[in-house]
Amino acid sequence: MAVGLSHYLTVSAILFTLGIFGIFLNRKNLIVILMSIELMLLAVNINFVAFSSFLGDLVGQIFTMIVLTVAAAEAAIGLAIVVVFYRARRSIAVEDINELKG
Amino acid sequence: MTALPNLTPAYAEIFLAIAGMALLMLGVFRKKDPVRGVTLLAVVAFAVAAVLALATNTSADGFSTVTFNGLFVVNAFTGFSKLLVLLGAGLAMMLALPWARNEGIARYELPVIMLFSVLGMMMMVSANNLMSLYVGLELQSLALYVLAASNRGNLKATEAGVKYFVLGALASGLLLYGSSLIYGFAGTTSFAGLADALTGAQNNVGVIVGVVFVICGFAFKVSAVPFHMWTPDVYEGAPTPVTAFFSVAPKIAALCLFLRVLVGPFEDLMIQWRQVLTVICVASMLWGAVAAIAQNNIKRMMAYSSIGHVGYALIGLIAGTQDGARGMLYYMLIYLFMNVGTFAVILSMRIKGRYVESIDDLSGISKTNPAIALALTVLMFSMAGIPPLAGFFGKYFVFAAAVNAGLIPLAVIGVLSSVIGAYYYLRLIKIMYFDESAESFDRPDASTGVVMGVCALAVVVFVLLPEPLLAGADAAAAALFQG
Amino acid sequence: MLGAEFVAMILVIVYVGAVAVLFLFVVMMLDINIAVIRQGFLKYMWAGLLVGGILLAELITVFAAWKMSDSAEMLRAAPAPDPNAMSNTEAIGQILYTDYVYLFQASGIILLVAMIGSIVLTHRTRTGVRKQVISEQNARRPIDTLEVVKVESGKGLQ
Repeated sequence: MAVGLSHYLTVSAILFTLGIFGIFLNRKNLIVILMSIELMLLAVNINFVAFSSFLGDLVGQIFTMIVLTVAAAEAAIGLAIVVVFYRARRSIAVEDINELKG
Repeated sequence: MTALPNLTPAYAEIFLAIAGMALLMLGVFRKKDPVRGVTLLAVVAFAVAAVLALATNTSADGFSTVTFNGLFVVNAFTGFSKLLVLLGAGLAMMLALPWARNEGIARYELPVIMLFSVLGMMMMVSANNLMSLYVGLELQSLALYVLAASNRGNLKATEAGVKYFVLGALASGLLLYGSSLIYGFAGTTSFAGLADALTGAQNNVGVIVGVVFVICGFAFKVSAVPFHMWTPDVYEGAPTPVTAFFSVAPKIAALCLFLRVLVGPFEDLMIQWRQVLTVICVASMLWGAVAAIAQNNIKRMMAYSSIGHVGYALIGLIAGTQDGARGMLYYMLIYLFMNVGTFAVILSMRIKGRYVESIDDLSGISKTNPAIALALTVLMFSMAGIPPLAGFFGKYFVFAAAVNAGLIPLAVIGVLSSVIGAYYYLRLIKIMYFDESAESFDRPDASTGVVMGVCALAVVVFVLLPEPLLAGADAAAAALFQG
Repeated sequence: MLGAEFVAMILVIVYVGAVAVLFLFVVMMLDINIAVIRQGFLKYMWAGLLVGGILLAELITVFAAWKMSDSAEMLRAAPAPDPNAMSNTEAIGQILYTDYVYLFQASGIILLVAMIGSIVLTHRTRTGVRKQVISEQNARRPIDTLEVVKVESGKGLQ
C-alpha cells in the first residue's frame, strides 16, 4: 500500500488531538502538559512537511524549521516557569494551581 | 549573489533589535543602578522607533511597501498601529520604574524583555505572510510569558505565569495548525497569494477550517470570551505595571493584526468568519459587563473590563468596512489612554509603602486624595461611555460603523451591555465619593502621577481636538482597504 | 518518502539533543515524588474522548477532501527542485539565508529572548559562595600576609 498524503495528515490529526487531550485531561503534572504542547507542535510539523512535499513547494519545510526553533525556545521558557513555580509552591501537580480562581 | 533586501521599511524594527541588545550589554556592564538607566533608555528607544516607523511608511498615497521577499509590509495602517503599540508600551514602562524601586525587585533584564516583546508586536503588525506572523507573535508571547512570571518569589505571579504560558502555547498551537491547513489547501502562506487563491474559490473547506483555528488562536491572544479564562488570573497575579502593559500593547497589536488578516487575505471568506466572530464579540461584551460586577479586586475588575472593551473593538472588525476599521483604531487609541490611566491610579493605591488592590481600599478617597479620586472618576466615566468624554466617541464610532454595515442587532447588544457595564464603573465612583473614608494613600511617585494626569487629560480634551489625532487613523484605515 | 531529509535529521537532532535533555534536566532537578494517581480522571475522560473524537473525525474528513488547489502551482513561492539535480539540504540552504533571511534573523532574536528569559526566571545569586577574585590575588604582597616573628626560646608562640 502506498503511503499517501491523507495518511500523513491523519497521523498528524491524531497527534494534535492527543496533544489537546493531554492539556485538558491531565490531572497529574505540569511537565506532561509541556510535553503535550510539544506534541501539538510536532503534529503541525508533520502537516507542513507533508503538504510541502505534495505541493512541490519548499516553503512548508522552511516553516517547519521556524516552528522547530520556536518549539525549542518555548520548551526552555516553559520549563523555566515550571521551575519557578515549583520553587514557590513545592509541587507541580496541576491541582495545586489553585491560588487564583479564574 | 543575491542583493541585500531593501531594509528601509524595517528601520524601526532593526533599530529596536539593536537597541535591545545594546541595553542588555549596558545592563551587564554598568555597575551603578543599571535599572534606571536601562528603563529610561528603553523609553527613548521606543520614541525613536516611533519616529522611524512613521518616517519609513512613506507611502502616504496608501500603497504598501513590501520587502524581505514579501514577508514584511509597511503602510499607513502598520505605521499607526505601531505608534499605538509604542505609546502604550512607553507609558507602561514609565509606570514600571517607580514600582520596581518600591518593591525592591529592580532587574534590568525586564525592560529589555519588554522591549523585545514590543519588537515582536511590531513585527506581527507588519507581517505579510503566515510565517512572519507566527514569528512575530511568538517573539512577543515568549517575552510576555517571562514578564508574567517575573515576580518569581510570589506564588500568585508564578501561577499566573504557568497559566498564561500553558494557554498561550495552546493558542499558538491552534493558530499554527490553522496555518498549516491554510497552507495545504490554498498552496501558499503569503497574504497576497492567499487573497489571489481565495478569490472566487467557493467552499474550500480546508481553508475555512484553518481560518477558524486561526481565529481561535487570535481570540486567545486578545482574550475574547470563550478563550478568556486566563485573563483575570494573569491580571491579578502579574506585577501591576506588567498588567498595565499586558492590557494595552499586546491587545492593540493582536487586534490590528486580526483586522489586517481578516480583511486582507481572507476577505472573500467574510461570510464565514463573520459568523464566528459575531458569537465571540457578543459573548465578550456581555460577559465582560456581567462578570465584572462581582469582582472585589480592582485588577480582576479591569480584566473583565478589558474583555468587554475587546468585544466593542471587534464590532468594528466585524463590520469589515473602512468605517469599521477606522472605528476600531479610534477605539484602541482611546482605550489605551483610559487603561493606562486607570493602571496609574491602581499603582498609586499605596498605603504605608504597601501596594493594595482591593476596591474597598478606595472608599472615601475623595476626601483624603482628591486628585486621584478626580482622575479615576474621569477615567471611569469615560470607560462607561458618558458623553463628553473620550470613551463615548470610541463606542459611538464602532456602533455607527456597525449600523452602516447593516449590523443593527450587534449595535443594540453593544449599547445594552455598555449600560450594564456602566454599573460597575459608577459603583467605583460611588465608593470613592460616598463611602466612609479609610486610610489615605501615600503620595504617588512623580512618573506615576504624570502618566495619570496625562491620560486623564487626554480623555477629557479628546472632544476638543479629535482632528489631528484622528487623521492618522483615517489614513490608516484607508491604506488597509486600498491594498 | 517525502524527500525532506534535512528537516527529518534536524528534527531528530534538536529533539534528542536539546528538548529531551532539557526535559530530563528539569525532571531530575525538581525531585518529584512518584505522583499518586488522582481520582476524578475518569470523570472527565468520557467527555474528553467525545470532544476529541468529534474533532478528529472532522479533521480527517476535511483531509480526505484535499486536492491540489487550482492556483497552487502558480503560487509556489519556492518550487522544490528536481531531487536528482539538487539535494534537499542544498535547496533549503539556498533559500533560507536569502529569501527567508528575515525569518532566520527573527528566530535568532526569539532564541535570545528565550535565553534571557530562562536566566532571569531561574538564576539565583547565592550568598556565601567563595569565588576566585584574581585582582585580589594579584594585589597580594608578602608584607600584607607574612609576618616574621622572632620566637624567644622557651616561650613559644601565642
